[in-house]
Amino acid sequence: MSSPPGPDDDARRDEFRVYVEPEIEVLLRVARAMASNDADAEDLVQETLVRAYRSMHRFDGKHPRAWLLTILRNTNINLHRRQRPLVVDDDELLRTSRPAFGTADQRSAEDAVMDLALEAELEAAVASLGPKFRTVLLLVDVHDLSYTEAAAAMGVPVGTVMSRLSRARNRVRRHLGPSVLIRGRLS
Amino acid sequence: MSGTLRQMLTCHWSARRIQRYLDSDPAAPLTPGEVARLEAHVAICEKCSAVLKENRALGRALSLWSVRRRVDPAAADRLRGFLEDLTREPRL
Repeated sequence: MSSPPGPDDDARRDEFRVYVEPEIEVLLRVARAMASNDADAEDLVQETLVRAYRSMHRFDGKHPRAWLLTILRNTNINLHRRQRPLVVDDDELLRTSRPAFGTADQRSAEDAVMDLALEAELEAAVASLGPKFRTVLLLVDVHDLSYTEAAAAMGVPVGTVMSRLSRARNRVRRHLGPSVLIRGRLS
Repeated sequence: MSGTLRQMLTCHWSARRIQRYLDSDPAAPLTPGEVARLEAHVAICEKCSAVLKENRALGRALSLWSVRRRVDPAAADRLRGFLEDLTREPRL
């Protein structure tokens, strides 16, 4: 029989909400890359929240996003009963990430045509990467995860994130070339 | 050591740090000394300056390339509601 909640429990619940609520959108984005559809992604995040809540007594209060991403990744593995390295083998992150050049202001028809060409070049460059390299590039540079958070989401050491990220960026940079990056409109 | 060789070594040293310099990620910060050495080199090395500019441009392009496939606001709201309900219950 569990004892009735006391003041400490209330404080911990409040603390849990404070840590977790701001991370829900990040969890959903990364879950969308792991799951096959939006409904499964939402279910995955929901299950992650339950598991995080149950284990919050083991959370040290540092790096809540990385902590939650680790639980998300482990939850996904447990739900599928198999190791599924994040994931982006199925290109979901790529499909759900699209360039947004020129969306913030009014652009001429010529500008729009140029943007489309550059978007296509960037998309092709990213698509040409192997899954491990593409994943880390999208998590860090598109989805704004830190090295530590990306490492948690992918289940690899930070050093591996850094080396893959470096290689991914160098490949994309070489694929695009300086004319696109500096003199083109990507800069 | 010749000036050319020293320059090559510094280019190599800089190339390995330019991304960390731009990222400023807390997991892998450059020391103040490394930052100063890198900035001094980039200021006089055309090749490394170009690499830094290209990396900066690529970062900007990717940051615009967005997610930003925004998440479904309704799904986020449902999860916030779920979180609220969850934390009203005693932990299992």
